[in-house]
Amino acid sequence: MSQRRFIVEPRGLVSWKVRLGVPVASVLAAFVVAGIFLFLTGVNPIEVYAEMLDAAFGTPRGISETLISSTPLILTGVAAAIAFKMLVWNIGGEGQFILGAIVASGVAIWLGDGLPSFVMIVIVIVAGGLGGAMWAAIAAIPRVYLGTNEIITTLMLNFIALALMNFLIFGSSSPWRDPEASMFPQGRPIPENARIPEFFFRLTGGIFIAIALAVFAWYLIGKTRWGFAVRIVGDSSETARYAGIGVARKILTVFLLSGAYAGFAGGLFVAGPVGALDPRSLDLGLGFTGIIVAALAGLHLLAIIPVAILMGALNNAGPSLQAIGVPTATVTMLQGAILIFAVAGEFFINNRIRRPDIEPDQKSEVVPVLEEVEPS
Amino acid sequence: MNDSLLMLTVLAAIGLGTPLIFATVGEILTERSGILNLGVQGMMLIGAVAGFWATFTTGNLFLGVVLAVIAGAALSSIHAFLSISLRVSQIVSGLALAIFGTGLASFLGRAGGNPLVGNPSRAVFEPVFTGSITEIPLIGPLLFGQDILVYLSWAVAAGASYYLFHTRMGLSLRAVGEDPASAESAGVNVSRIRYAHVLAGGALAGLGGAYFSLALTPTWQDDPIGAAGWIAIALVILSSWRPGRAVFAAYLFGAAERVQFTLQTLGEPWSDIPSTLLAMLPFVLAIIAMIVLTSGKRARYLGAPEALAIPYFREQR
Repeated sequence: MSQRRFIVEPRGLVSWKVRLGVPVASVLAAFVVAGIFLFLTGVNPIEVYAEMLDAAFGTPRGISETLISSTPLILTGVAAAIAFKMLVWNIGGEGQFILGAIVASGVAIWLGDGLPSFVMIVIVIVAGGLGGAMWAAIAAIPRVYLGTNEIITTLMLNFIALALMNFLIFGSSSPWRDPEASMFPQGRPIPENARIPEFFFRLTGGIFIAIALAVFAWYLIGKTRWGFAVRIVGDSSETARYAGIGVARKILTVFLLSGAYAGFAGGLFVAGPVGALDPRSLDLGLGFTGIIVAALAGLHLLAIIPVAILMGALNNAGPSLQAIGVPTATVTMLQGAILIFAVAGEFFINNRIRRPDIEPDQKSEVVPVLEEVEPS
Repeated sequence: MNDSLLMLTVLAAIGLGTPLIFATVGEILTERSGILNLGVQGMMLIGAVAGFWATFTTGNLFLGVVLAVIAGAALSSIHAFLSISLRVSQIVSGLALAIFGTGLASFLGRAGGNPLVGNPSRAVFEPVFTGSITEIPLIGPLLFGQDILVYLSWAVAAGASYYLFHTRMGLSLRAVGEDPASAESAGVNVSRIRYAHVLAGGALAGLGGAYFSLALTPTWQDDPIGAAGWIAIALVILSSWRPGRAVFAAYLFGAAERVQFTLQTLGEPWSDIPSTLLAMLPFVLAIIAMIVLTSGKRARYLGAPEALAIPYFREQR
């Protein structure tokens, strides 16, 4: 010990300054790293970032588009966060999102024009959630009852979902495909009364539904008896078992709930700006971006909302870069870098580093941490 | 099915399977040390772009391969640092690598005044042997009609298999993946072994990526490798963490990716199966295999490293 230049030790309580400061630093660090790559390829990173800021927030229409991009990310972010809190590694948000869109648009097309708009919108969003939960169940049931590792199954289900959507639109004359679009296949528009009304350029009320659903998840996990039991399972399934909590059932429910949230995002996207099962508008990696949102938000279900707006802003700014000759992929690179630094930040949130010759409060500060695999 | 069609399918399976062998064997070495790296897709893409760029600039295939290997290893070092030194969640860290690598590769392919995208490679891997030896029925094209990286992939798989199960280093590696605390007590440096094998995994993934951009589809495009990096992660499980089996698993998946062309050649009714449905096949296969092969305690018997994806806290042993 005495030879070490610094000592790493777990923090006891984490102050809000650290909780806020570390993610902010992560984002800044990512911008610096991406800036280096931009600089090396001969562009001025400051100009690029200014252009992005302007595209995302510079005009009312830009703000509207940013919030449109953020809406599904709030929900895929919640989907990832509630699963990861429980150490359920659902990385199938992408596929659950697509299945949500498939079921939601299918139900909307099947029901047609008959119902009042309000009822219709509720049905479509719920259908999206059911679609996502069903898709998650394919991985959740083997995980809970057979012990099958969910990382690989959820991952593979993403690609199957994508192929399924492509099959419905490009590979068959399914009810999802627009029979009038003969030149190039595209999705059949859902009935007008299933569309959420626009109120600020193309922005629909979907943003409020997404925020309300996120707040509901926060309440459910953070403030209810059920949520308390869930958090115990997430901290230690041994403890939960001793406390008489049905661990398998809790894991199954959370897994399905996570799938449902990704599915809500799909339903909301179809009922909102997209209006059809359109592979080109839906295959954007929104499920994976949800994982970045969840990680940067420290799995905090309310912090997800502002973080999703930040990620939505980046997504929205991407296409504007082409006009100044910078690849759209700059955004993916930035988001990947943000996730790398956010993951590294997890370490600095949970640990602190001090020099061995400065030993503050030697005894009182020792925090016993046993088998802490994944801080909640 | 006639002979030539079968032959074409097998040859295509070898072609499409070769990058999967590199990436899968690499990931096996990484996972055997107890580290799960989900960033294979990112490392392969970085290898693909780095290899393509080096060959495009110099016209030299060897330099392309070297740079691809270095680039893959360099990207994996981020995961090594995060998961071994900082001991954060390996799953999220690996995904971060996948996203960052995907973005960076696409960015590098399109950035600058004279971007790579759309350009053909200045050199391409060609079959090593020419002449009458390749015309021997059956064995000719299969054994002697391949490029050097195909032979290298066989050597890598055989070498990794020997290394894992017949050398002292391999024994230490497996010990670290099973029970790092005991391995450390026996004098093994857990961190060093893990770092080395995460980097080895990255290097091989980079090489696999370069096989796409320098042999299979030697024109730079945004998404040159499909989902190969993700498939490789599934193949590790299908081959139950054994490099020898990885060869067969990779060729099986190579054939599955090829199946839509094969069916088209067969004519009706086979050619009527939509390609979008067939695109699901490898992934459906992987899920079924996962559920059948690795559920419950079976994963242990198959060879899943006991300490996989669990951070190792030396101070808290």
